[in-house]
Amino acid sequence: MPAPTVGATSSKKRKSLKESVVPSSKRRVVAEDDSADVMAEVSRLEEQIAESRKYYNNIAKLISMLNVDKNAVNPNLAVAVSLCRVFSRLIAGGDLTETNRAAENEKIIAAWLKERCREYQKALSAILRESDTSAKLTALTLCMRMINERATHMPGEDTQVWLSGLFKNIIEAVVEAGDDETLRSEFIEKFAKAYEDVRYYTFVQIADIAQTERSTETLSILISMLSACDAAPSPEHEFKTFYVKSSKKNKKLVSVNSHKKRAQDAWLAVLQNNISESQRKTLLRIMVHNIEPWFSRPELLMDFLTDSYNVGGATSLLALSGLFYLIQEKNLDYPQFYQKLYSLLDPDLLHSKHRSRFFRLMNTFLASTHLPAALIASFMKRLARLALTAPPAAIVVIVPFIYNLLKTHPTCTLMLHRVVRDEETKAELEAEGMDDPFDAEEPDPTRTNAIGSSLWEIHSLQHHYHPNVAAIARIISEQFTKQFYNLEDFLDYTYQGMVQAELGTEEKPMKRIPVIEYHIPKRIFTNRLLEEDGGVDTAPGSLVRGLWDFP
Amino acid sequence: MPPSQLKQLKASLRESGVLGPQQSKKQKRQNAKSGATAQNRIQRNAALQSIRERFNPFEIKAGGTRTKFDVTTRDGNSSTAASRARPGVTKSLGEEKRRQTLLREMEKRNKVGGILDRRFGEDDPTMTPEERVAERYARASQRKMRKESMFNLEGDDEEEEFTLTHKGQSLNDVNQEDFQEGDLGELEDASDSEAARKRKRVFTDDGEMEDIEDLEEGEDQPERKKSKQEVMKEVIAKSKLYKYERQKAKEDDDDLREELDKGLPDLFDMLRGVKPPPKPEPPKSDLASMNPDRAALLEGTAKGDTEKEYDQRLKQLTFDQRSKPTDRTKTEEEKAAEEAERLKKLEEERVRRMRGEEISGSEEGEEDEEDEEEGSEMSEDESIPDDAKAFGLHHFSDQTNTRPELGVEDEDDFIIDDDLVETRSDVSLSIGDSDEEVVSGEESEDENDEEEDELMNSLNFPGDNARKAPAGADAPEADEALAYTYACPKDHEEFLQIIKDVPMQDLPVVVQRIRALHHHRLHPDNKTKLGRFSRILIQHVAYMAGQPEHPPFAILENILRHVHSLAKSHPESVSQEFKARLREIAADRALSLQPSDLVILTGIATTFPTSDHFHAIATPAHLCLSRYLGQGAVNTLADFATGAYAASLVLQYQAASKRYMPEFINYVLNALCNLAPEEPKSSLGRFPSRSPEEPLRLKISKSMKSRKLQFWDVTGPESSPKAEEELKLSLINTFVSLLSTASDMWSDKSAFLEIFEQAQNVLRFLSKSCKGKLPSTVQDTLQSTLDKLDGHTSKARLSRRPLLLHDHRPLAIKTAIPKFEDTFNPDKHYDPNRERAEANRLKAEYKRERKGAMRELRKDANFIAREKLREKKERDTEYEKKYKRLVAEVQNEEGREANAYEKERRLRRGKH
Repeated sequence: MPAPTVGATSSKKRKSLKESVVPSSKRRVVAEDDSADVMAEVSRLEEQIAESRKYYNNIAKLISMLNVDKNAVNPNLAVAVSLCRVFSRLIAGGDLTETNRAAENEKIIAAWLKERCREYQKALSAILRESDTSAKLTALTLCMRMINERATHMPGEDTQVWLSGLFKNIIEAVVEAGDDETLRSEFIEKFAKAYEDVRYYTFVQIADIAQTERSTETLSILISMLSACDAAPSPEHEFKTFYVKSSKKNKKLVSVNSHKKRAQDAWLAVLQNNISESQRKTLLRIMVHNIEPWFSRPELLMDFLTDSYNVGGATSLLALSGLFYLIQEKNLDYPQFYQKLYSLLDPDLLHSKHRSRFFRLMNTFLASTHLPAALIASFMKRLARLALTAPPAAIVVIVPFIYNLLKTHPTCTLMLHRVVRDEETKAELEAEGMDDPFDAEEPDPTRTNAIGSSLWEIHSLQHHYHPNVAAIARIISEQFTKQFYNLEDFLDYTYQGMVQAELGTEEKPMKRIPVIEYHIPKRIFTNRLLEEDGGVDTAPGSLVRGLWDFP
Repeated sequence: MPPSQLKQLKASLRESGVLGPQQSKKQKRQNAKSGATAQNRIQRNAALQSIRERFNPFEIKAGGTRTKFDVTTRDGNSSTAASRARPGVTKSLGEEKRRQTLLREMEKRNKVGGILDRRFGEDDPTMTPEERVAERYARASQRKMRKESMFNLEGDDEEEEFTLTHKGQSLNDVNQEDFQEGDLGELEDASDSEAARKRKRVFTDDGEMEDIEDLEEGEDQPERKKSKQEVMKEVIAKSKLYKYERQKAKEDDDDLREELDKGLPDLFDMLRGVKPPPKPEPPKSDLASMNPDRAALLEGTAKGDTEKEYDQRLKQLTFDQRSKPTDRTKTEEEKAAEEAERLKKLEEERVRRMRGEEISGSEEGEEDEEDEEEGSEMSEDESIPDDAKAFGLHHFSDQTNTRPELGVEDEDDFIIDDDLVETRSDVSLSIGDSDEEVVSGEESEDENDEEEDELMNSLNFPGDNARKAPAGADAPEADEALAYTYACPKDHEEFLQIIKDVPMQDLPVVVQRIRALHHHRLHPDNKTKLGRFSRILIQHVAYMAGQPEHPPFAILENILRHVHSLAKSHPESVSQEFKARLREIAADRALSLQPSDLVILTGIATTFPTSDHFHAIATPAHLCLSRYLGQGAVNTLADFATGAYAASLVLQYQAASKRYMPEFINYVLNALCNLAPEEPKSSLGRFPSRSPEEPLRLKISKSMKSRKLQFWDVTGPESSPKAEEELKLSLINTFVSLLSTASDMWSDKSAFLEIFEQAQNVLRFLSKSCKGKLPSTVQDTLQSTLDKLDGHTSKARLSRRPLLLHDHRPLAIKTAIPKFEDTFNPDKHYDPNRERAEANRLKAEYKRERKGAMRELRKDANFIAREKLREKKERDTEYEKKYKRLVAEVQNEEGREANAYEKERRLRRGKH
């Protein structure tokens, strides 16, 4: 490397270094309460090192001043900062590189310096792990600076620094920082999100960490770190913001695919680890927006999604959308998809908070007109059964949904209108009535014989206590003149919303005076004047009085 | 080639007989004698006229547009009439008309005043001046005689004021009278003459023509003038006689009226249906018996007072209903039948509301309005129609803060029965402030006040302690300590202050007294006061039920019944308060109902008809209860007890309408599963299972006894294990009997099998898991419920048929065949939209009028221009003439002077 170039870069570095040191020195002033002479000593030693080689021993002295030998609880940050300056200068000056042509003593000096440098890095890692928050933040900045210097000025070393050296330590420290949010958010905000090369290597490191089985807490930290990273780059994206200038030359770092591959590896490693139920749900929830875009081969998610889908309950619900994406886009063959979907329709579904999400998806799944009528009939019948025990907000969705299905599958209207023409059957019907031919226990939706049944359930719901629900249930017995109901309008109702719709939030003059019961009852709670009725209570409210005592 | 014009003319003249062979002198003489000549002349003129027209092609205008074929147009033939227009004639007519109007105006422009000579015969050239003068004088004297008005008895002395004078001398005396106005031959008196004159101005010409004829007749019969005077005299005598008769008749009428007026006070009394006042006739009776007006005049009192009195009486008469014949007193049976009829009607209305049927008649208008309102609101909100909105579903948004409109389907039945709301018919007229008014007003109260009377039975007698408030049966004679008057409180705190020292048992008495003291008839403000009081009472019920020392339910019941009775007269405030309570429940403790909430919800169940399809209070109350059942906590026995009470309430709500409540079934089955001694191995039905944090299973033992649940169980049992187990057992018992009631209620639902299949499963599981160790009472209930369910199930199976919901008439395919019109007229517009047709018609008319007006204006402008030009030319020629005349004159003079000069010169020259 020609000397003038080196000089120029190093001077530039120095300048920038000074600028960047300002905040940390400020922090030092605030954080430390050292006496002035210690500060003077440190700056004196630093200047001496800069002056001549013979003072290199000062480095060892400074390192010892860091006082991280026993534990790194209370490090001297001023020393750390000045050491960082020293090493930056030395690395930029090429003092740490061993050239073959160099003299023996030069080599010895370089090796010695390298040794000191390693010692310094170790100390920094120790600070990162064990010290208090502000010290950690300083150490993080210093570490990243060291990485930058080394990767820039030591040609062979850049990958080594990123993959195995200091950066690995940083990531491990960040991951193991446990509940300390600040360090992690600092790292993600200042480095991983801001610089694409840092993000790239973070993916590599996380994949590395997640290779082995980790505890749940670690995994959730990894998940949060991964999901905090930016959205996946578009195929035409040009990578520009690099932390280390030389990264531009690295072909891997400028290709979208390799970035995606790293992220994919990291996510896969996390997904394959032993994640807990709740983590699985979180992952499934962010699947479509945060995870899948990173995957150049989404089929790799197949295992995870099918596994989740088979878990049952809410997890299956959440896996549905991811799975649907795969089926639609990647031609995934999921043989018993509808059977599985059918089995998802259980009593708890209509009471769960994922109800709307599920109905939206089911609306897409059952939209095809090529589905067999028997299958559609089973779904309708099952939904009708569930509606019998559902809250009003769910019934309000189910009925228009069934209407839409009936409209797209007119064969199923037999469930609403069936004229018995066979005389024999008619006679039998008259004599014995009928059982529901629908087999509720049958898991296969094509074999439930639902199409031979009728939607008595919805018919009964026409007598629902809530007038609006009853009105909606009545649409199935009116003429089907409307093309379809927009399902979106019926989703997302709740008890609270319905009550508020009736009552309003504040008192307003009534449009119409409500009707008052014309008959003032003789008794409400007590047996007052019972003898007038001959001792038998038949007045309104007798049911409650019969079951309850009102002392 | 047709013959030349001249030849044609000759031919036609000959044809019409204008030109003929010369008549001999003898013939001529004969004709003149018989008058045939005149006849001939007329004929000839007519013939000539027609020939002239025929030979002038410019007189008649051919149709402006080419006529269409007759076959295609219906009015093709009629266009020939239009085509025969005569532009020359119309033009000259228009010209003439303009000359009459526009020209006059033009001439009058910028000129003020002027005298219109309207003397008789002034413009008539056929009269000689002598004739004119004679006629004028005759008319003036005639007019003088006719001038007396109908009621002029005094004679002519007044008239002298109106006679015309000239230089202080009456014109009558002046023989030469030529300035009399021309309004002769009128019968009206002087005051009417002005209008008549105006009218006459229009018909001046005609009138004068008649006058002329009269004149001619007058000349024919010379003796007429004398008889006319006689006639006049006769007429005057007659009119005087009539006048006298009329006056006499009037006086007779006045006498009669006076007599009637005397009887008026008696009549008033009779009409009022009250015994005649016992007060003796006042001494000045002849004044009192008189017409009030007259009396006032006589007495000289202020006229206003009497008028007021009269007005008052008149009003009394118009507003009085009691002038109707009274019904005869009804027998007991009739009264009972009427009452039954009324109840039946009310019940029918209730059932109608329950079915959610449409309202008929006057309510519909309102509904439409509301629909429109909703429509406009919707269009404001969003352009995309919301399907859900059609069913009355609204996403509640806090930003707007408006209560969404009710859906079309729901705003059914708000018929406000006249019987339920306070009738206003008894609001006294308050004209006469006599006591009788109020008393009789109270008499006309209707039945619901009788019901009210049960609560208010000491309304009129606050001191009557013997008749006590119903709830006060166990109250001691503590009433003595109570005050008789209480101020009507303005808020709950104030009410608490009032009843601070009142023992709980006397609360109903206090409430009753407050109501009695502030009865709405006693003061107009009392209505609002009582409205506020009703709200306070509801708050107080909630407050009392929330107190730790549980107040006796008899008191709560009494207060609630007071609230109900107040609700009839103040439905708005009571509803608002209940609504406010529900809102509070929904906002603060929807999932953990308090005892006070339960009491309020019970109150709603009795105060409002919960069977209505939609009800502004009952529907949200339903939602509150079902929300609790669906999502409320199930962690403690107290929760289960609250749930059991809520479930019983829900069934009570639906006792009449029998509507289905999914949450009820879910809750009861889930509760039974959780209270059963064992945990079910698999799911027993489609109800979502929710289990308490720590199990509340029944520890079974034979020694336990089930009891009737107490209301205060909802706050939890005593903390002894025995009491807990007892409560559990009682809860199971209650839930099972609730299921049994529900199965009765919903037995006719088409999905009964599906609904109660799970219930059967749960009950079977329950009886199995108890292993027959249940106390016999509970076991009995369980078994009987199971049996009942079996019975209902088999019945439901028997009656089950495939659904036949779509027996609709198939929808007609929309057609695009145009409507066929029998008598189609292409000129007519067949716009089905009436308003649009009307608008089009108006537009066309406007266009036509506009065109016509413009044409007229243009013609006017032309006319004016022409006239101006003519005037200018006239002026110019005049000027020219004058100029020429002057020049000629000057020349003449000059010439003479020149001649003189020449003469002189010649003379001088001659001298020389």
